Amino acid sequence: MTTTAPQTPRLSPLAWARRHLFRTWGDTVITVVAAVVVGYVVYRFANFVFVTGRWEIIRVNLSLFIVGLYDRDELWRPALALIVTGGLGGLVAGVVRRRQLFAGSADPDRPLGERLVDLAGRLWPAVLAVLLLLMMATTITPWLVVAATIAAAIVFRLIGERLPRRALAPVVVVVIATMFFMVWLLAQGVGWDEWGGLMLNVFLAAVSITLCFPLGVLLALGRRSKLPLIRAISTAYIELFRGVPLIVLLFMVNNTLGFFMPGDYDPSSVLRAIVVFTLFTAAYVAEIVRGGLQSVPRGQVEAGQALGMSPVRITFLIVLPQALRNVIPALVGQFISLFKDTTLAGAAMGFLELLQTAEAVTRFPDFSGQGLIAETLVFVTFIFWVGSYTMSRESQRLEHKLGVGTR
Amino acid sequence: MTDDVFADATQVAGSGDVMIELEGVDKFFDDFQALKDINLKVGRQEMVVVIGPSGSGKSTMIRCINRLESHDAGRIVVDGTVLSDDIRNIQEIRRETGMVFQQFNLFPHLTVLDNVILAPRKVRKLPRAEAEQLGRDLLTHVKIPEQAEKYPGQLSGGQQQRVAIARSLAMKPKVMLFDEPTSALDPEMINEVLETMKDLAREGMTMIVVTHEMGFAREVADRVVFMADGQIVEVGTPEHFFTNPSEPRTQEFLDQIL
Repeated sequence: MTTTAPQTPRLSPLAWARRHLFRTWGDTVITVVAAVVVGYVVYRFANFVFVTGRWEIIRVNLSLFIVGLYDRDELWRPALALIVTGGLGGLVAGVVRRRQLFAGSADPDRPLGERLVDLAGRLWPAVLAVLLLLMMATTITPWLVVAATIAAAIVFRLIGERLPRRALAPVVVVVIATMFFMVWLLAQGVGWDEWGGLMLNVFLAAVSITLCFPLGVLLALGRRSKLPLIRAISTAYIELFRGVPLIVLLFMVNNTLGFFMPGDYDPSSVLRAIVVFTLFTAAYVAEIVRGGLQSVPRGQVEAGQALGMSPVRITFLIVLPQALRNVIPALVGQFISLFKDTTLAGAAMGFLELLQTAEAVTRFPDFSGQGLIAETLVFVTFIFWVGSYTMSRESQRLEHKLGVGTR
Repeated sequence: MTDDVFADATQVAGSGDVMIELEGVDKFFDDFQALKDINLKVGRQEMVVVIGPSGSGKSTMIRCINRLESHDAGRIVVDGTVLSDDIRNIQEIRRETGMVFQQFNLFPHLTVLDNVILAPRKVRKLPRAEAEQLGRDLLTHVKIPEQAEKYPGQLSGGQQQRVAIARSLAMKPKVMLFDEPTSALDPEMINEVLETMKDLAREGMTMIVVTHEMGFAREVADRVVFMADGQIVEVGTPEHFFTNPSEPRTQEFLDQIL
């Protein structure tokens, strides 16, 4: 930071406390009461986490929490998918970095150590969670998978950085094709309905986010279309899906799909859930993106028109990039919601995602009747928090990066 | 040449042939008539300055020429092409017609260079390398080659407006329309933009400039058009216009601003 704003002189801790916490009798009372309450809660929670909690219920059932009932002989598929995901992430990061270096928005001379510290600062909850899970692992395999994932990420990061600039389009195609291939690979191993655990939550969220985003953008554009029919359809769709609770939709596809679909059409629960999440979130994404579109000044469109650009080009090259940048925080908030709402799919449709697993394992013979639901729920809370917090932090960073020098 | 030659709005200066022609143009915003029976010819390589009180229809008139506003009656011809409702026809005319806005309207998400070469690449289909060469040449032309990799938000107002001029020129237009190009600028930046515009005029660009810069009008314009209440009140050489206007409305306006 190179701020030149006048600094308030630093107070000694004692002086600071006197000024901010104990200035008046009222302040003192509030401070003491609050400290006692917070201290007690923190003590009880820490005591539970580090002393009285019986975490073996997590350790013993760890694989259920992570991959559910996925066939144990086919576990190489999710493992491979994880490693490939690491590689793709690295590839994208490398290409992005190359473009940033070219555009001068990344500092090429920043020492590697500093960048690693930066990365750790960004991703520490995720790193912590992965380490915690690995500590509980009973075999060496999870360690190897994680190591391979990190290795793949690093290797493809370096490859991505060295690709020529015009390789961007092929890279996008390769990434998308690989993602489809991985879904196919995962689905080949076992039936959809054997999926479970964290893997299912992440899979549902990732696929739904990927699908709902383009749909939502199209709906937002449709709602602003000059063609009355397209506008009416988009508006009706958005208002319909925003007017229904998500869990009602999930119950509906689970129980009453037969009323709307041909009799012999019976898609798997996972597919049904993905369709519901996609259609539902698309309506919200559409409204967020519409807000973004409205925030782009009219003069931007006129400048494009004055240059002889077609309406489609103006929309996709000038208006949408600015609109999307303006709504990144709201969009990511919606995606975080979707990630957490995948637990509703478990509740409504009965597959063993993370939350249902947490409930189910407490009824296993070894653990039933011992009141261990607190342990499993705290574990689930922690995992969801790590995912949501990481998404939130990364979105702030993205927002900052895209906003630099462009206002 | 005498003043009388230019007193008629349908006469042109410059090289003689007509570049832009407005014939009986009317424009309504709901019930409000913004343009009333506008007749104006602008010759090739001519530099016409439009002045008048705010709300007099100056901006509306030049925005009709590239169809940012549609006119409700009359005929507009740009370099022999009649402006119609057909989108292809409109884009044809827009490609031949550059426009510079009061608020610059640069694309904030693109670098300066990308702002300049976006349309040449996407509309004229220039290959990237060729477009970049063109872009850098134009930025040199408006005297800010060193800003190519920056974003518009990092530039001063005057620099931004010069980028906007370069962006318009990149489409190699036959006509440039300026809609109060210096009105949003701090006083110390007005001159650099006016200088750029003078250069353009000297190079023989056909220009219509809506402005309040009377000194500029007097120095560079071939003809000055005075508008009030949606009508062209008077047209003449700067000499005629500023020293001896024939219409009382013109005199009244000049008294107010000078």
